[in-house]
Amino acid sequence: MDKKMSIMIVDDESIVRESLYHWFERSGYRVDTAASGFEALEKLEEYPFDILFVDIKMPGMDGLELLKKVKSEYRDTIVIIITAYGSIESAIKAMKIGASDYLLKPFKPDYLSLVLEKVTQQKKRADEYNYLKGRLEKITRFDNIIGQSPPMKAIFELIPDIAASDASVLLTGETGTGKELIAKAIHAKSPRSHHPFIAINCGAVPDNLLESELFGHRKGAFTDAVFSRKGFLEVVAGGTLFLDEIGEISSKMQIDLLRVLEEKKITKVGSSEPLDVNFRLISATRRNLDEAITQGDFREDFYYRINVIRLHVPPLRKKMEDLALLVNHFLNKYSQETAKRVDRVSRGTLTLLKQYDWPGNVRELENAIERAVVLARSRTLTPADFGFLSTTVSRKKGTSTLKEMERAYILETLGNCGWNITRAAKVLNINRVTLHKKIDRYGLRAEKQ
Amino acid sequence: MNTPQSIGVVPIGDIPDMAPRVIVAHISACLNLEATVLKPIGTPSYALDRQRLQFDVGPILQNLESKPFKGVDKIIGVLSVDIFLPVFTHVFGEARQGGRVGLVSLFRLKKEPPGPDRLSPDVLQRAAKVALHELCHLYDLAHCENNPCLMHFSGSLEDLDQTPFNLCRYCTRFFKDALALPGRPLL
Repeated sequence: MDKKMSIMIVDDESIVRESLYHWFERSGYRVDTAASGFEALEKLEEYPFDILFVDIKMPGMDGLELLKKVKSEYRDTIVIIITAYGSIESAIKAMKIGASDYLLKPFKPDYLSLVLEKVTQQKKRADEYNYLKGRLEKITRFDNIIGQSPPMKAIFELIPDIAASDASVLLTGETGTGKELIAKAIHAKSPRSHHPFIAINCGAVPDNLLESELFGHRKGAFTDAVFSRKGFLEVVAGGTLFLDEIGEISSKMQIDLLRVLEEKKITKVGSSEPLDVNFRLISATRRNLDEAITQGDFREDFYYRINVIRLHVPPLRKKMEDLALLVNHFLNKYSQETAKRVDRVSRGTLTLLKQYDWPGNVRELENAIERAVVLARSRTLTPADFGFLSTTVSRKKGTSTLKEMERAYILETLGNCGWNITRAAKVLNINRVTLHKKIDRYGLRAEKQ
Repeated sequence: MNTPQSIGVVPIGDIPDMAPRVIVAHISACLNLEATVLKPIGTPSYALDRQRLQFDVGPILQNLESKPFKGVDKIIGVLSVDIFLPVFTHVFGEARQGGRVGLVSLFRLKKEPPGPDRLSPDVLQRAAKVALHELCHLYDLAHCENNPCLMHFSGSLEDLDQTPFNLCRYCTRFFKDALALPGRPLL
């Protein structure tokens, strides 16, 4: 039995709560109690309990209503209904709604033990299924590339075809859009997948060093060349070379690489002997290379060599329909990595994240989620966890006049507060009546989720 | 330097003399703790549930916790009446984690028919196991996953008969830690 399972007992009778609390505590579980359905939902918002024992008859929100809410909001939470003799029909109804089992009061202690064992196994199987499903998705969905938007779907469809050919690929798109991930996916699906994938950021390596890195050098070729060294073009041997920021390399390097692509041969620095090389080139750039050619910054002949297949990766702001999916993905990733059980974002948070421009694209979003998860104090990320984005949100384009700025700021604050007028008024330091007037004046409406 | 722990076994109501004596002997032999039989106290009529005709363990524990048993660190009460926790049909014994008082009922430790008449060696052995198990809860030990361990949960007499008198190596370690640092949470 998994001792780390967490249990909440929801019952309006304190004697029942207390009895079960001590029993579970003695069995080594993390236990908490709630005297009503409302309290249970509040506690679930804060901590992801694995199992809920819910009394069917409670004033206010009864067990069935709570069960419905739990199953719609927290699918993975197991609910076991506790009921008295004579209300078996409600128990059956509860099973149909999604309860995992039911207990008729009073029950034998070993029966509770058996039920717990059963649901523990059930949860273990569900966890295993989710884990394996995640693994399978990683394999089949081109590693960590996430997206359901039309432009991303088009890219996913193209990847297998591109991978099957051996033509050079040019990936264009803003920084942080996932160009390297796409390059890796092409490599992973290609016949070269059993050979190395080597990525070099050309923009980060000085030109003279890049030459040595790519072509290698012989001992004594230059002052610091104490040993002979193989270049990446040799090391890649049959694999894929990914040159990121290709728009940043010098004209001389463009000529050298053009020769390599044409002849499939290299000559190490300090050597005169040509060496056969075999690799596929995938390049990436955030620059507009057509413009660079016009301005004389980039060689046209080299451009046509590297640009046999061109794939444009759209920025995050152009595929906002993927935002929720990406947020969930990074939330899962960092909840697991940091062992913090943060698995939800509030609606207000999603609205806030959609308002932001994400100039750093998916990479910036990933960093923002990681930061928020690390600092989060509850299982649900709220707008307050993304406070570091707010200054940028308020600088959104089009807020030129004072009125426009006021409108944008009020809208943003309302979004951050989940359209809770009292909270928003407090943040804005105005009274609720004034806020209502301003909402009417500016025609503000909550964005539907 | 830790003072050796002393356990008091209290007969509650009308119970055969042999039961508390066997429990004391097992506490000394299995857990190496000093144990004595204390002066008997009356049947806890205040805890009788007239609908269920059983005794609620909550008020009994509360009552015993409030009594000043001098010279002992932990108390094990032994009863012959049928005891229950409100959601359960019955319990063999009960103790709060890290508490001072635990209970053992002889009522359901006998196979057909249940009742408080003469005690067979089997019943005495079961009573001793339940007492040791509850006593370990008083030292903050939780239920153990290992089948061959005194702290494994036994819901039926068959389970209880399979349960050994000794703790597994992990629980032994936890128990020793608890004796070294009384009051420290263990699990």
